[in-house]
Amino acid sequence: MRTTNRDVREVIREEPVMRSRILAVLADGPLTVPEIAAAIDAPTHEVVLWVMGMRRYGWLAEIKGSPVDGYFQYQRTGRVS
Amino acid sequence: MTEACAVPAVDEVDYDVLVVGSGIGGMESALKLGDMGYRVLLVEKEASVGGRMILLSKVFPTLDCASCISTPKMASTIHHPNITALTYSRVDGIRRSADGRFHASVTRKARFVDEDTCTGCQKCETACTVAVPDQFNADLVARRAAHIAFPQAVPKKAVIDRAGSSPCSYACPAGIQAHGYMSLIRSGEYEKAHRLVLEATPLVGTLGRACYAPCEGECTRGSLEGTLPIRRLKRFISDVHDEGGEELGIEVAPPNGRRVAIVGSGPTGLTAAWQLARKGYAVRIHEAAPVPGGFLRLAIPSYRLPVETVERDIDNVRALGVEILTDAPVRDLAALRAEGFDAVLVATGTHRSTSLGVPGEDRLGVLGGTDFLRRVKLDQPVDLAGRRVVVVGGGNVAMDAARTARRLGAASVTVAYRRGRNEMPAHHVEADDAEREGVQFSLQVAPLEVLGDAQGAVSGLRCTRMRLGEPDATGRRRPEPIPGRETVIPCEVVIAAVGMTPEPGAFAGQLTATSLGILGADAVTRQTSLPYVFAAGDAVNGATDITRAVGEGRRAAHMIDRWLTGRTMDGFDDRLPVVDKHLVLARQQAYAFRSPAPDATTLVAAPADFTEVEAPMTETEARAAAGRCLDCAVCSECNECVAACPVDGCIDLHARDQHLEARVGAVVVSTGFKLFPADLKPEYGYGRYRNVITGMQMDRLLAPTRPFNTILRPGDGKVPERIAYVLCTGSRDETVGNPLCSRFCCMYSIKQNQLLMGALPLADITVHYMDIRAPGKRYDEFYEQAKAMGAAYVKGRVAGITETPAGDLVLRYEDIEHGGVIAETEYDLVVLAVGVQPNRDAEELFEVGELSLDEWNFVAEPEEDLNPGATSIPGVFVAGAASGAKDIADSIIHAGAAAAQVAAHLESAKAGLSEIAKVPA
Repeated sequence: MRTTNRDVREVIREEPVMRSRILAVLADGPLTVPEIAAAIDAPTHEVVLWVMGMRRYGWLAEIKGSPVDGYFQYQRTGRVS
Repeated sequence: MTEACAVPAVDEVDYDVLVVGSGIGGMESALKLGDMGYRVLLVEKEASVGGRMILLSKVFPTLDCASCISTPKMASTIHHPNITALTYSRVDGIRRSADGRFHASVTRKARFVDEDTCTGCQKCETACTVAVPDQFNADLVARRAAHIAFPQAVPKKAVIDRAGSSPCSYACPAGIQAHGYMSLIRSGEYEKAHRLVLEATPLVGTLGRACYAPCEGECTRGSLEGTLPIRRLKRFISDVHDEGGEELGIEVAPPNGRRVAIVGSGPTGLTAAWQLARKGYAVRIHEAAPVPGGFLRLAIPSYRLPVETVERDIDNVRALGVEILTDAPVRDLAALRAEGFDAVLVATGTHRSTSLGVPGEDRLGVLGGTDFLRRVKLDQPVDLAGRRVVVVGGGNVAMDAARTARRLGAASVTVAYRRGRNEMPAHHVEADDAEREGVQFSLQVAPLEVLGDAQGAVSGLRCTRMRLGEPDATGRRRPEPIPGRETVIPCEVVIAAVGMTPEPGAFAGQLTATSLGILGADAVTRQTSLPYVFAAGDAVNGATDITRAVGEGRRAAHMIDRWLTGRTMDGFDDRLPVVDKHLVLARQQAYAFRSPAPDATTLVAAPADFTEVEAPMTETEARAAAGRCLDCAVCSECNECVAACPVDGCIDLHARDQHLEARVGAVVVSTGFKLFPADLKPEYGYGRYRNVITGMQMDRLLAPTRPFNTILRPGDGKVPERIAYVLCTGSRDETVGNPLCSRFCCMYSIKQNQLLMGALPLADITVHYMDIRAPGKRYDEFYEQAKAMGAAYVKGRVAGITETPAGDLVLRYEDIEHGGVIAETEYDLVVLAVGVQPNRDAEELFEVGELSLDEWNFVAEPEEDLNPGATSIPGVFVAGAASGAKDIADSIIHAGAAAAQVAAHLESAKAGLSEIAKVPA
């Protein structure tokens, strides 16, 4: 897994590529950002950018309510394309 | 690009006042002047009015919602009868004329969206395939190239972020949106990518294999670790489509009752037929050969381009109802006209091999390059087994002939070429692959005679040695014979691949042509001397390549349609100028290495069959390869926005910038300020530590339209429980050249403290400060209130921040009020209360040095105390933070003062007390 900070533009540009991987790991249920990061072997700060971009455009939504151990869980919304 | 970038007509307009910038100051000045009856031209560079204030969470000390109090003012500004607000526009320059009035050049940047019909539904944004950092959310989240600036934007109209044409798309002679299908592939939208290529040509699979990919030569990624495999990605989407068996999904207009005949079924003819059929024309192709496809089917070897691929692409054309007649040569164009065709396109290509022009060329065993390839493709017997073959020429046909000869069992194959390897016109990959397949090269030799035996069969090729002289008109060094230096290459077969020409005299007496048979046609319209006959492709240009031939077919179809519908014969090429690759690369500070796709070609030294040599890409490879795209032009022209938009014609990618000249009596500069770039304080780790953010970023996290679902730290999405503020980041700091106090950082930090304690009741808030500056009405009470709510304030500078492995942050600071001890405390999130800097854009509005700046580079007010808002230029006034840091309330007051100054200036002119001329009614 990368540990260096990449330019934010570069990370965000990859959202369309990472989308299907993130949706795939969420197929079995909601996960937190660190859990998604572990599942796709990517840095958490990059996953935040991808998850929030996907959330903004309707691919993901958070589980409402209180966070678990400080982290919200995110789930698929059903958007497929 | 002859027809692109036409300079539009320049509109000239008159206003009383020009206001530059529509932040709270600009809006206030414009509204006050509009209310007074002055006609105001307001120019805003962003796609919405509102400036920074609309992006804030709340305002201090009232904690009013920033959106709630901004949006009415924004709406009033846009809808005021005396204000013309031009958003997404820029002032290119302002000059003062002798009569004291001003002339401003303004560019209305193309939104590519019709402001009148856009409903702000955001469907274009949702469908867009290009993700970029959202500057309106301080880069905390992605937006799309097609976007509405922010939810409260006024006007709430979409804009498509286009920096020009991407180099790959611009380089394609076929006009295929390479960037577009890259962005669709990385999104997993393979069928859509296939359809995007079909917009240009039916030959998706063909180009995916046999195109020489000029797009790849221009790929910006090529200057990093290597170009994208754009051609192979096109093959990938073709393969996916073929395997999926889906419909083409292409829009076809209903029949229009007109008929077009096309002579020739090569890439030009097929593409023209495709385009015309899609416009509703009834198209019939006449092909002289027994199979359609021209060069694709009769010349390019199957190891590069399988016959089945070409046939599938031709089936695309047939699927639109195009009739293809084979063994149907056309000699009489008038007969087609008489048969009822409204127009005829001649696209007969260059099928005839150029002769060597040396003695012995008629011997048994001498073949023309294209004739040889054609015979092989038509399964006609060509016995090369065990024979020595010499191919004369250095172009792609020569390479195809040589590699084909290897597959037919030739004992040896030698390419004889008069120049050196570097000067060969063949694509370097073709030459390299030929060599890897055992083809030998005899360079800098030119044929003098084909030698023969007693039976008249070829026995060798007598050549002269050549040397390279001065460059010729093509830039290549001219080959010159070396006297007395001859050699003989023993062989039984000579294949002449030194050039190709059209069939000479094919349309003699009907169309003009050169002695070589090149047809005459207008360079732009492709119309010939017979108005109903158009000619395109290699038949008019000489031998080129597939992509150029496809582009010719598109052009011809466009022009035929224009001619048959009585429109002007133009408008084919309206690409935006290509983006500057250096500017593209400069968008990022660094680039991570991304492995280029490995070569997938399998070559053997003695190939025995015509099996395709290049393997297809897997889906994983394709997604990864397309994911390397840099989005050079930002918008990829994938057309997803156009498809998603519910309003026909609302999105128009053909829109262009508009220019206008404004004559005004006065100018208000309200260009605001810039925020201090926090990475200039490296000891605080901004940009390195993801949980160190700026005050503006925290304001976005606190805003109702926040980028995340709540306040989370960007490093891992955790809800922060320990939050620290570092005040005076980049202000009151000589180490970064800014001794000034930014005036509102203390107060916005206190505001955020209170909001955070409301949103995260369990969070601990600590503020590291030098001294709190809360001089306004109710400001100090606001500060005391934050302390009473539980925020801790620690007096003393923060020396540095380090990051723990968990992403937490350790602040090392001085605690003055506890004996000046040096302490360290760990936090989840650190907010840098960044200061302000001048916006140097203001001075660029005028001639160099005309608009005076103060010693800190804010717009100078020479008589700030007694004459606020007046600048060094009579008639030019400054409003808001362009002249120095001000909070919202002070900016509004200052903007009101500027408006009063403008009114006085204009009224004094009316009264004859100053020199400016009266504004025309």
